[in-house]
Parts: sequence; C-alpha cells; structure tokens
Amino acid sequence: MDERAMPRRRIRTGLFFIASLLCLMAGESSNDLRAEDGHASEAREGNIHQGPCTRMINGTQVTLEIQPRPVKAMEDLTFTVTFSGMEPAAAPYVDLGMPGMNMGPNRVQLRHTGPGRYEGPGIIVRCPTGSRTWDARVTVPGAGEAAFVFDVMD
Amino acid sequence: MFSMSWTESLYLVFLTTGFAVGFGHCLGMCGPIVVSLSLNMKERPLLVPHLLYNAGRVTTYGILGGIMGLTGSFTAVAARIAGLQKGIMIFSGVVIMAMALAMSGWVRLGSIFADDSLPQGVVSGGFRRLAASKSRFAYYPLGLLLGLLPCGPVYTALIAAARAGMDAGAAASGFFQGLGLMLAFGLGTVPALVLVGRLAGVGWLKSRALIYKASAVLMFGVGVYFVIRGIRY
Repeated sequence: MDERAMPRRRIRTGLFFIASLLCLMAGESSNDLRAEDGHASEAREGNIHQGPCTRMINGTQVTLEIQPRPVKAMEDLTFTVTFSGMEPAAAPYVDLGMPGMNMGPNRVQLRHTGPGRYEGPGIIVRCPTGSRTWDARVTVPGAGEAAFVFDVMD
Repeated sequence: MFSMSWTESLYLVFLTTGFAVGFGHCLGMCGPIVVSLSLNMKERPLLVPHLLYNAGRVTTYGILGGIMGLTGSFTAVAARIAGLQKGIMIFSGVVIMAMALAMSGWVRLGSIFADDSLPQGVVSGGFRRLAASKSRFAYYPLGLLLGLLPCGPVYTALIAAARAGMDAGAAASGFFQGLGLMLAFGLGTVPALVLVGRLAGVGWLKSRALIYKASAVLMFGVGVYFVIRGIRY
C-alpha cells in the first residue's frame, strides 16, 4: 500500500464523517430549539390568535396584532404595531423567523397609519418539517426590539 | 468609480442570502438528498452529476421566481402549486428509498440512475426510464423536479421576488426581475450542497460494503421521513 496515500485517506474519511455528523446535528439541534420555544410560547406571549399581544421596549408598551385570525401560514396577513406614549423617531419593522432555524430574511415593512400606529403586509411561510413556532420581532431603530413568539395554525 | 444600483444590490443580497441559507439550512434539510445521490453514484465521478442536479434545482427556482414576479402574488401561486409540491415530497422520499434498496444489494433493483442492471417490476416506469438513461444528465431533470420541494427559505425568497415584481411596474420586467433574483438565490445555495455531495462520496474507500449497507439503512429512514412529511404537508 502507498504510505503517502494513508494520511490523505484518513483526512477524507474524517471529513466525510464530520459532514455526516454536522448534517444530523443541524437537524436535531433545530428540532430541540423549536420544541423548547413551542412549549414556552403560550406562557410568554399570550395568544396572538385571539387578539393583540403586548411587550415592552424601553418602558414603552408595544402591541402587535396580526389579522386575519387565527394566524395561518401561507396567507396574506396584516401586521399592526401600536405604541402607547411614544412616537418612534424612525419607522419600525417586523422580522419573521423561526427560533433555531434560518428561514431567510422575511421583513414586514410598516407604514405610519395614525398616531403611534404602523401597519404592513406580510406572509408567514410553512415549514415542511411540521414546525409551527414563529418569532415576530418588532424593531424600533435606535430604541430596541420586542419578540413575539407564537405557533401558527394549520 | 464603482457604484451599485438598487437592483444590482438586490441581486447581491439574494446571492449572499442563498449562500448563508445553504450552509445554515440546506445542509440539514436537503443534505440527505445530495448524500443519497453521492452514495448511489458509488465509485463514479460525483462533481458533474451534482452540478447538473443543482443546475436543475436553480432553473426551477428561477422559473418560480419569474412567475412570482409576473403575478406579483406569492400566496396565489403558492396555493396553486401546493398539491404538486406535496406529491414531489412523497416522490422524493420514494426515490431515496429506492436508491437505498438499490445500494444495499438486499433487494435486486440495480442502481436507479446509471447502472447496467435495470429494476424489474418493483419500481415505477418513471424510475425505469431514469435508470435506462444510463446518463449523468438524468440528474438535471431530477434537479428540476426536486427544486419544487417545499422549502421555507425558498418560500421566503419567493415572497421577496413577488414584491420586487410588483414594484417593477410592467409584467415583463416583473418576470425578469423575479427570475434573476431567484437565480441569484439558487446559485448562492449551490456551494454548500455540492460540498456535502462531494464529501459524502466514498468511492475512494478500499472497504465500502459495510458503509454502503449502513448508509442504505439511514437513507431508507430518510426516505420514509420524506414520505410521511409529504403526506402530512
């Protein structure tokens, strides 16, 4: 056997098994994270399917409402963000993502529709793994952000 | 001085998004498919079939992007192709299971895509035609088909393509805008999947029988998972 070929073969064998392990771990870890957030979402966020949910950004109350309800994937949705006691210096926006899973950038641009009120269209996509937990993150440039975690309906 | 227009920067955003999603998402979700393709190729060269598979996948993304850009509506198009995607997810699971059986040697199916022996009476006519082609170019139509698999990040990119098409004004420019953006996104995802496909090639190993048998079991499990997910999608 060619002595010089051995280290190369070992490296390639190692790379193959590392790649296989990474594939498996990527799938497993994302499943774990989704499960944890899924269990915690009800307690932390209230129920986005029944009405607006409220969080705080720097002492200001931020309310997120998604319509139509119940909130379903692959439907045209309207996101409404309302601030009480604050008019943001810059237009806020909502980033949609899945906890522990990179679904690509999905930003809902909001436009000013009244005092402390912003509205914009968005779509929550369906994940073929069956996971339904989503994170709608409201960001106010320069002020902070608030996360709303919930499960979409089938 | 070099300056980038809004449209050019949007293409760059889609390309880099595809690249990031490729290494962050595709490895976990589409990794099993490309690993299955590599293992099924056994000792044959891997690069060209993988490039052809990815070219087919990216072509489908581009066509979908063009349609989204033309219509300016993600949900309308997505609703129309949902049934087709469900069928393709089930089909891909069956393909992976068939490849696993072919590779294991436990069931006499031959190799599905490019081997000398043809499957007899167990798999469908579609599989037999693929097997009969004896060509690495069979991976391009396979990529075209599997490019329709339901995928979260592809949906997200298609939403942006539909919006860009809506902003384009004219239908034709919307089509080409959506087409170009999704081609950029798809190209970004190629490096990760080609890399995994290449790393999964074990044709260089001296003793491969055990690895093929173990991989066949894993592949069959992945195929079952795809079929179940497809039925429940």
